[in-house]
Amino acid sequence: MTQPASRSVGHYQYEERDRAFLQERINEFEGQVRRRLSGELSEEEFKPLRLMNGVYLQLHAYMLRVAIPYGVLDSRQLHKLADVAAKYDRNYGHFTTRQNIQFNWIALKDVPTILRELAEVDMHAIQTSGNCIRNVTSDEFAGAAKDELMDPRIHAEIVRQWSTLHPEFTFLPRKFKIAISGSPEDRVAARFHDIGLLARPSENGPLFRLFVGGGLGRTPVVGQELFDSVKEEDLIATLEAVLRVYNAFGRRDNLYKARIKILVQTIGLEAFRKAVEEELARMDRAAYRLTPEHVAQIRARFALPDLKAPADASDVLEQHKKADPAFARWVASNTHPHQDEGHICAVISLKTPGDIPGDVTSEQMHGLADLAERHSFGEVRVTHLQNLVFGHVRKDQLHELWQGLKALGLAAPNVGLISDIVSCPGLDYCNLANARSLPLAQKLGARFGDAALQAEIGALSIHMSGCINACGHHHVGNIGLLGVDKRGAETYQILLGGDAGENAAIGGILGPSFAEDEAVDAVARIVEFYLGQRQKGETFSAMLKRCGLKAFKEVAYETV
Amino acid sequence: MKRLSRPGEGEILLLTASRLLDGRIVWLGEGEHWRESIAEATRFTYEDAGAALERALAEAEQKEVVAVYEVVAKDTQPPEPVTTREAIRAHGPSVHPDFSYDHAPVREKESAL
Repeated sequence: MTQPASRSVGHYQYEERDRAFLQERINEFEGQVRRRLSGELSEEEFKPLRLMNGVYLQLHAYMLRVAIPYGVLDSRQLHKLADVAAKYDRNYGHFTTRQNIQFNWIALKDVPTILRELAEVDMHAIQTSGNCIRNVTSDEFAGAAKDELMDPRIHAEIVRQWSTLHPEFTFLPRKFKIAISGSPEDRVAARFHDIGLLARPSENGPLFRLFVGGGLGRTPVVGQELFDSVKEEDLIATLEAVLRVYNAFGRRDNLYKARIKILVQTIGLEAFRKAVEEELARMDRAAYRLTPEHVAQIRARFALPDLKAPADASDVLEQHKKADPAFARWVASNTHPHQDEGHICAVISLKTPGDIPGDVTSEQMHGLADLAERHSFGEVRVTHLQNLVFGHVRKDQLHELWQGLKALGLAAPNVGLISDIVSCPGLDYCNLANARSLPLAQKLGARFGDAALQAEIGALSIHMSGCINACGHHHVGNIGLLGVDKRGAETYQILLGGDAGENAAIGGILGPSFAEDEAVDAVARIVEFYLGQRQKGETFSAMLKRCGLKAFKEVAYETV
Repeated sequence: MKRLSRPGEGEILLLTASRLLDGRIVWLGEGEHWRESIAEATRFTYEDAGAALERALAEAEQKEVVAVYEVVAKDTQPPEPVTTREAIRAHGPSVHPDFSYDHAPVREKESAL
């Protein structure tokens, strides 16, 4: 096997054949764009082709969605994304809830050139749209978290390679999303994906708990466990069988009933499982067997960080915290324990209160790439909650990183707190939206921006979507907000009690929708009620269960 | 064909589209040319708009525009779209008015037609 050209840690290193494939694909799309611009292809003919290459037509321009497989970038890729933002966009990029990045101001004529520039750093936009298997997402602390059972990225890469241009699954009834985690704490919302995989090691090799039929959107459904322990060697065969059953029986006559969740709900889990088992029995299992050699081959394309830290790294961090309370506050909310005692995972909030969730400027991207070079082996991860992670930071250098982040305006100490708001682009950019989501997210961020207030409130999530398609995952926020068009006016429905993790739950609708400013005040009253009535250590969800939705409803509507 | 939106009192219809080459919002103006500024948009009554929309749709490929449809606007100078969605299309994202085409660099203002 050839050695990788670059040894950035965290993601699969391309081989020459991967690069050759990207060039072929760009040549093909360039030809399609040329034929469209010359009139040889109609819009109807061209639309599915551009979508297969991540190009949407949005409110103001074309939008290009670039894939970030399992959310891992290296610094040269981030520099390149910054260049694309500066050269072809309004100097911004927007990180999404699928660990991708979107550019909102792209000209169609520029897309082939942009794709060539992205290919220089092994990036592309393939399967970021269309009715195919989309970008595989994973745990933002993969290969680093202290609580991890096994690193999910190797199998995420195997699934990525299996699903890329899969000839059978290029035109599915509808899009298909897969997430994979290797931690007991579900940080990937596995139960809200078409397939969610939770990996764990065993004496006989890795096992995968497989959830099927989860999803948000128009019909939110918590995924159900299809298999408890899929063996590593059967992983691809099982995925293939699930997809075949869906491809054969999923509805194609109704866009709103085409996702796998509707099929599983309609025929029932037992019937679905039986169909998958029958498909598995018919398959040539040997052809799909994932061998230890194959897994080792993929693993070898990942470089590992050389985790060396001074013996006193933890002590130095404690001294820095003691000397600087603002830093200590940031450490408390924006870090996660690492497997190595001398290292720590740092979460960079893209939710500075009052700013747009998930947005970063070109200058910030360049700055982050430089910081990643210095502090995290050139590796940056994108979270599905629209933040970034440096996976392997030396504890004694964390203060220096924090100062660098402060200089970039990216040191908000709010990860997991109320102003860490997840939001879709909404009606300000999106063709499907009914209402704006970003202004409301900004107002809520500003309302709860005070660091002391956020610390007092503790862990509490707000998720915001501008339409029923739920790109802002409003069903799984502790507090969810959904933009609704009410006779031409933007109004906002409030949901309470959502949870994306192990205790997966879909938020309950509180009642009639609010006008924008009323919605901000209603959320404030809900939070105030929680602060006033919670018992010691009681989470928002726990108090909601104890008091009931009705009690919160009375508070939310009391002055309306 | 879908039914036309009906303008209310003091309202008119405009025709809009996205330019094929760059996706930029355009408005059907004088001589049935697509214009970048809403101020240059032709104002249609409900009665006139149907035929104009049919012609615009038929000529969309030739004139290099996509997604042609009608927009209800107030009959002011310049006309002002009545819905938030169309106001955002006309004036740029509410969270970033500086991103609107009026504020964009000269390179992006150059006509693509």
